[in-house]
Amino acid sequence: MLLLPSAADGQGTAITHALTSASTLCQVEPVGRWFEAFVKRRNRNASASFQELEDKKELSEESEDEELQLEEFPMLKTLDPKDWKNQDHYAVLGLGHVRYKATQRQIKAAHKAMVLKHHPDKRKAAGEPIKEGDNDYFTCITKAYEMLSDPVKRRAFNSVDPTFDNSVPSKSEAKDNFFEVFSPVFERNSRWSNKKNVPKLGDMNSSFEDVDAFYSFWYNFDSWREFSYLDEEEKEKAECRDERRWIEKQNRATRAQRKKEEMNRIRTLVDNAYSCDPRIKKFKEEEKAKKEAEKKAKADAKRKEQEAKEKQRQAELEAARLAKEKEEEEVRQQALLAKKEKDIQKKAIKKERQKLRNLCKTWNHFSDSEAERVKMMEEVEKLCDRLELSSLQCLNETLTSSTKEVGKAALEKQIEEINEQIRKEKEEAEARMRQASKNAEKSAGGGGNGSKHWSEDDLQLLIKAVNLFPAGTNSRWEVIANYMNIHSSSGVKRTAKDVIGKAKSLQKLDPHQKDDINKKAFDKFKKEHGVVPQADNATPSERFEGPCTDFTPWTTEEQKLLEQALKTYPVNTPERWEKIAEAVPGRTKKDCMKRYKELVEMVKAKKAAQEQVLNASRGKK
Amino acid sequence: MAAIGVHLGCTSACVAVYKDGRADVVANDAGDRVTPAIVAYSKNEEVVGLAAKQSRIRNISNTVMKVKQILGRSSDDPQSRKYITESKCLVIEKNGKLLYEIDTGEEKKFVSPEDVARLIFSKMKETAHSVLGSDANDVVITVPFDFGEKQKSALGEAARAAGFNVLRLIHEPSAALLAYGIGQDSPTGKSNILVFKLGGTSLSISVMEVNSGIYRVLSTNTDNNIGGTHFTETLAQYLASEFQRSFRHDVRGNARAMMKLMNGADTAKHSLSTLGSANCFLDSLYEGQDFDCNVSRARFELLCSPLFNKCIEAIREVLEQSGFTADDINKVVLCGGSSRIPRLQQMIRDLFPAVELLNSIPPDEVIPIGAAIEAGILIGKESLSVEDALQIECSAKDILVKGVDESGANSFKVLFPSGTPLPARRQHTLQAPGSISSVCLELYESEGKNSAKVENKFAQVVLQDLDKKENGLRDILAVLTMKRDGSLHVTCTDQETGKCEAITIEVAS
Repeated sequence: MLLLPSAADGQGTAITHALTSASTLCQVEPVGRWFEAFVKRRNRNASASFQELEDKKELSEESEDEELQLEEFPMLKTLDPKDWKNQDHYAVLGLGHVRYKATQRQIKAAHKAMVLKHHPDKRKAAGEPIKEGDNDYFTCITKAYEMLSDPVKRRAFNSVDPTFDNSVPSKSEAKDNFFEVFSPVFERNSRWSNKKNVPKLGDMNSSFEDVDAFYSFWYNFDSWREFSYLDEEEKEKAECRDERRWIEKQNRATRAQRKKEEMNRIRTLVDNAYSCDPRIKKFKEEEKAKKEAEKKAKADAKRKEQEAKEKQRQAELEAARLAKEKEEEEVRQQALLAKKEKDIQKKAIKKERQKLRNLCKTWNHFSDSEAERVKMMEEVEKLCDRLELSSLQCLNETLTSSTKEVGKAALEKQIEEINEQIRKEKEEAEARMRQASKNAEKSAGGGGNGSKHWSEDDLQLLIKAVNLFPAGTNSRWEVIANYMNIHSSSGVKRTAKDVIGKAKSLQKLDPHQKDDINKKAFDKFKKEHGVVPQADNATPSERFEGPCTDFTPWTTEEQKLLEQALKTYPVNTPERWEKIAEAVPGRTKKDCMKRYKELVEMVKAKKAAQEQVLNASRGKK
Repeated sequence: MAAIGVHLGCTSACVAVYKDGRADVVANDAGDRVTPAIVAYSKNEEVVGLAAKQSRIRNISNTVMKVKQILGRSSDDPQSRKYITESKCLVIEKNGKLLYEIDTGEEKKFVSPEDVARLIFSKMKETAHSVLGSDANDVVITVPFDFGEKQKSALGEAARAAGFNVLRLIHEPSAALLAYGIGQDSPTGKSNILVFKLGGTSLSISVMEVNSGIYRVLSTNTDNNIGGTHFTETLAQYLASEFQRSFRHDVRGNARAMMKLMNGADTAKHSLSTLGSANCFLDSLYEGQDFDCNVSRARFELLCSPLFNKCIEAIREVLEQSGFTADDINKVVLCGGSSRIPRLQQMIRDLFPAVELLNSIPPDEVIPIGAAIEAGILIGKESLSVEDALQIECSAKDILVKGVDESGANSFKVLFPSGTPLPARRQHTLQAPGSISSVCLELYESEGKNSAKVENKFAQVVLQDLDKKENGLRDILAVLTMKRDGSLHVTCTDQETGKCEAITIEVAS
């Protein structure tokens, strides 16, 4: 025997710590009635205590039996047994006040009581008049019991219980007193639920979870209500199987229709409630407010961040500006200082020069003759120009401190030195000039020093060939090499490889050098042809000068337009080139003609070269 | 509504029916309550049961025995390989399936193990219909605990092919528990049961936990080398040596004579379970010489004592495996025909001196009766699929309350045992002396048997300001409810004043 101790003073109900382990999953044997009960409970989602409560309820109902009060139905005796379908079976048995809540036991007891009271034999004994056969109202009692004692039939009757209020409150009704209007409606409709413990509507303070559970339950309402009681035809009355089948089909259709209406009704009810529910509104608003708050917080954070960034940027800019200013200031100071110094030096040099001149003057320029004096004056000027401050000072000192002869000697020596210096400089400059010109000549010739000698003509030819056969030409370099071999006057055989190498080196050379080559080529041309082209130049210069000056390359677009125009205006079109020029915007007639000629030449050359390559390859084969 | 429970063993099959609230085994057309699971193929018929067993002396190559050992197994299974070498009937492999080759003289037939099982099930169905009428087809079939999915489905298919409506396949040890109705009366309480099943060819021992009426297998062990046939064989060997002693002739090499000896030994073994000695008489065992021999029970027990010791050893092993001692077992259930042997029962009793040995139902009928009871529970149920319900949440630890016993020492009482399927509610009426004005329930959690320590205390519930009574005790009602996640709700109520305290303890995450 275990006895519980008493609590120490001050001790209260408390939790020391949470349970250390959660539930564990165990493999169990699918055997026995408790396992079945467990599975059933789990599937119905009801707790164990719920089942116990249900059992208890049944017990209490049984004990209530004795207290059951039957209500006498005043119209009982006037009922017509033929119209049994429209009678209220509960009322007939005196259970009008309990209705669908009546237990089977109660129904049985009620029937017994009614039979004891209303059986024809009893009434006969009491001297009441009895109708013949089935016409007596007692048949109604029998029928009522028949309906209510069978669970299936009872359910059918319960489904169409005439006292049930099918109405659905409209939205406007529930504007102000939602809970007062809808609570009884849901209460009333919950009796159709297949599941037990239907959630209640709750009140304004219900939690979000409760409200959510409530609406999800009602939106997925699982109703047992069915409408077989309202069947118009009775299956039992059919005479043959086909008829029975037809009746069944009819009944099924009407039942389904009614069931659908019923589901619609529930749906409308829940919809109405949902749309009117002040709690839903509240939750939505709360949600919205929450979202907005979140959004605001986010925006705030972003703004702050941006501000901080801006601040930092400005600070940086400020610092940079200050640094720059400081630097500038320093530079200015330095410049100022330098200038000052320069000025001082300039002044000093000026002074010295003046002094030298004066000294010379005082010494009468160390000569007597006028011519010599002039020459001396010139020399002195030269000295003044070239000599630096220190040497000037030195010279002046010697001149002032010594006698005339010594001074003259010093001066002359100085003059000689200067002259020597000037001469040397001149020589150097000349040498430099010579060197430069030599170098230029050398570099001009140097390009040609390859593995094979490339003459100016060949280079010229190569450039022409490369331009003639642009990239993308079939076996381009072979064609170029072939072209070179045919047209070259040097007689050196060149392979495609040579040509590629040279072209690449040419490409690498700066355009300046290319120009140089071109110029040289022109010079040569001039040399070879003597004066003749110069005379010629006068006339064609007009023709070529124009296009040459604004020689803009033809874009692919213009090329296309030109080709199109050439096609549209065939050769015999009068004033063909004017029209073509019109068709190509931005190009004159001359441009077009020139381009055309170029193209023709290019195509011809290409064809010829390709043929030669082909022939060569054929020959090889 | 009537339902059927069938147990198909390696050597014999048995059928029980559930009718009018009780389950009973049905005797077959030969009057036997157990039918040998043997099918003999002859020229134009298939014979199932006793007739097949008796005719096997002449028709050994066309008689299929122990079909359960090969059912649903592939050819590379070591157990089926062993079976193929031992089987007297030729087994071949065809298209990856094992088939029996039956040669009845005119033509060769290939018979699958499922087909053999189907014939046995058909026989069982016939037997059941002899008492139920032909419209009862709902059946629960038992399978060994170590059966795999393939074997289960093969067995189920065979039963379906025989015309049964299989409600469920249940494990043999659970069926044995159900036959004795263990844990079925009230859904509270917890106990450990050892199921000792010694069948025709195998010994399987399981330790089961029954909690809230739901069974769990804690550990199990199967030995395929101990069984009824091994006892018979030992006895037959002894008889052969006896024959050799008196007639100077060794019959061990003669298959037919050995078969006769086996049959004789079988009968002798059965009678030795009830009688002190059995007479074994065989007409013209060898070269027209009759054999007459008396075997005493003591002799038989002496011969088989190594096997008995093996059985006891196996029990010890399982106990060790589950971490129990003999004292932790509340009940022992005997099933399988060979557990009738008195010596074996005595040995088990010696091992579990304080434990009730359940053998009131004939041991070879325990399992089919359990199956029939389960069928009776299941019949008329709409949804029978239980795959998703085999794993259920259970409480992990014992919940105890601390109190003092008469001598004044601290003691604990389990209020909520571990392994209880959740959600669950347990309610206890606890006593407290009437002279105190406040009562304290200190709640502890503990794992296993080691008693609660101070650090395991997780909560206390205190009821204050109670009316003092001069003498007598006051009743405190404690209700513990645990949810599926393991959180606990405790309510304590003083029955007199109606004072009430409640707490909820969550699980530490």
